[in-house]
Amino acid sequence: MSQPSNGALLEVRDLRARIDAKEILKGLDLVVKPGEVHAIMGPNGSGKSTFAGVLAGRDRAEVTGGSATLDGKDLLAMSPETRAVAGLFLGFQYPVEIPGVGNLYFLRTALNAQRKARGEEELDAVDFLGLAREKMKLVEMDPAFMNRGVNEGFSGGEKKRNEVLQMAVLEPRLSILDEIDSGLDIDALRQVARGVEALRSPERSILLVTHYQRLLEYIVPDQIHVMAAGRIVRTGGRELALELEKKGYAWVDS
Amino acid sequence: MNAAEASLVSATGGLPPAPEFVAAARRAGRDAFERSGLPGTRQEDWRFTSLAPLAAHAFGHGDPAVPVLAGDLERVAGKPFGARLVFVNGRFRGELSTAHGMPTGVHASSLAHAISATPGLVESRLGRTAMVDGRPFAALNAAFLGDGAFVHVGADARGGVVELVFATASTDGPVACHPRVLVVADPGGDATLVETYVALGDHPVLTNAVTEVSLGAGARLDHYQVQDQPANAFHFATLTVEQGTDARLSTHSTALGAALSRSDVLARLVGEGAEVHVAGLYMADGKRLVDNHSVIEHVVPRGTSREIFKGILDGAARGVFAGRIRVMAGASKADAHQHNSNLLLSRDAVVDALPQLEIYTDDVKAGHGGTVGELDREALFYLRSRGIPAPAARGLLIYAFAREMVDRVAVPALRDRLGQQVAARLAGGGAILEAE
Ligand SMILES: Nc1ncnc2c1ncn2[C@@H]1O[C@H](COP(=O)(O)OP(=O)(O)OP(=O)(O)O)[C@@H](O)[C@H]1O
Ligand SMILES: [Mg+2]
Repeated sequence: MSQPSNGALLEVRDLRARIDAKEILKGLDLVVKPGEVHAIMGPNGSGKSTFAGVLAGRDRAEVTGGSATLDGKDLLAMSPETRAVAGLFLGFQYPVEIPGVGNLYFLRTALNAQRKARGEEELDAVDFLGLAREKMKLVEMDPAFMNRGVNEGFSGGEKKRNEVLQMAVLEPRLSILDEIDSGLDIDALRQVARGVEALRSPERSILLVTHYQRLLEYIVPDQIHVMAAGRIVRTGGRELALELEKKGYAWVDS
Repeated sequence: MNAAEASLVSATGGLPPAPEFVAAARRAGRDAFERSGLPGTRQEDWRFTSLAPLAAHAFGHGDPAVPVLAGDLERVAGKPFGARLVFVNGRFRGELSTAHGMPTGVHASSLAHAISATPGLVESRLGRTAMVDGRPFAALNAAFLGDGAFVHVGADARGGVVELVFATASTDGPVACHPRVLVVADPGGDATLVETYVALGDHPVLTNAVTEVSLGAGARLDHYQVQDQPANAFHFATLTVEQGTDARLSTHSTALGAALSRSDVLARLVGEGAEVHVAGLYMADGKRLVDNHSVIEHVVPRGTSREIFKGILDGAARGVFAGRIRVMAGASKADAHQHNSNLLLSRDAVVDALPQLEIYTDDVKAGHGGTVGELDREALFYLRSRGIPAPAARGLLIYAFAREMVDRVAVPALRDRLGQQVAARLAGGGAILEAE
């Protein structure tokens, strides 16, 4: 294992994880510094969502080795809610529908839970509504969606927009967005990208998982990684995405 | 009879005198109970529900005049949201009751009062649907006939709420009480009735309530039962219903407490076009048991029945749902549906779900569905990934499951109260409803 990189926000070293008996992550290394945007691309089933889930604390995969730290703190030892409080956000590839829990209420509960855990004052209903309205405008989300159950009956694109809204309200330090662009129409892609861009700052970092270089035209990454069979097999700049678009993944394996 | 059975009926000795039709009903109830005794688990309807725990207690009849402060009552039963009749240890207590807000056309009084004031009306209906043969708890209740509530919904009644609160107060030892509610709705009458069952005091109590509902042609009753007994209580409730032509009953029960809670609903659609909606929410944890039995009988054509029960079981709790829908040969164009879903929150919680369709005609639409599941892991992870601590996230998801049943309550004040009662039983309780 290597030395801790100075100033890394996210640092992943030789991460290994399995689901049942099958090894999915096979020694994964990644360093994301504050302010950076990274993209991970890679074939279906290569382990991108598993990786994102492991970072956020989903217990579906079992970590068998390696480390992952956020700001030098051991992520893998934390509960999912503690990771969120520490500043990690996962935009789900498949956001969950939760009928019976109001979208707006959920968002306020989440924000206040985080604020409380950080020793900050909770927002009252009025202040929260002001904040939520502002962020809804940013991602051009119809306020009517806020009174529905969490993602209940939302279209694929609406669910993705809702993920970005949550991110905008929670203002995480590290946003891991798993295929935030899939299922979006052209306008929605632009609006979602704007929501993500708005969060960009020297302290915040973003890790995008995507299949399409189109998103990367809107949110220009500092680095692109190609993941295959549970490992990062190639890292490069924007040109890598264009090359992948042209040639597919076959050439990276070779 | 064994000692427990004998102690349960022995208190009939102290009953106040009553007119002959009541005395006869008492004798019939007592005889039937002495013949049957308490049901055992070898009986089909009691397969999962053992009454053995009753034997550990000698239930007295309780002092009907025991001092009860209005504030203490409100603490367990909530504030009244309209006309409220209060019964303590089975007897009407005028000083705790309020007639304020009694809906137009609705007359609610103690059953004892109605027996002396309008004996003809009471005699023609009392015990008509709550048969005592083969129904030990209805029989036991009949053996104690005398007080409870009489609610007469006149033809001119156009809605409005009457609330009945039954409190069992145990000061010196275990107490049993057997209240009877008789509801008679004249043709076209419309009202809402809420029954709330609570207890004061620390001793185990046994409540054995029987509610008889008789709806005339086109009458409509919205009926609610809230069982919020302490964890050492035994609660038995029997609801028997007879509906005339185009009459509509909606009954909604919530079983929140008690060590053992058993509800029997027996609805007979004897008038064409009648409609019955039976809804129930039950929650149990620890070693508690909650049992919902229902029999809905379509006797004549064009009857509609809808049944939905939802259960939340934690710890080593046990839930039982047995819903029988019987469509008789003459009940063509019957439309019957039943649904039961259960949320099991622990590995040791169990539910026995027994939907039973008995259909003796072809011209019928009938179906049932049900689920037994755990909390959705991905939903739990989703909430936690946003920073919501695990216990609160679980509370939110459990409330979301129960909510459909709370939302069905058409009386806003009752809906709020029920929502709070359900939420209070979950982690993060109060906060769950805060933003609603
Ligand atoms: N619950 C599970 N049980 C068994 N196998 C699983 C489970 N979840 C994921 N896998 C397997 O793990 C591997 C990696 O899946 P993952 O979802 O991480 O891929 P991905 O790179 O995100 O793919 P995609 O681009 O299609 O989203 C796949 O082979 C998948 O079938
Ligand atoms: Mg994926």
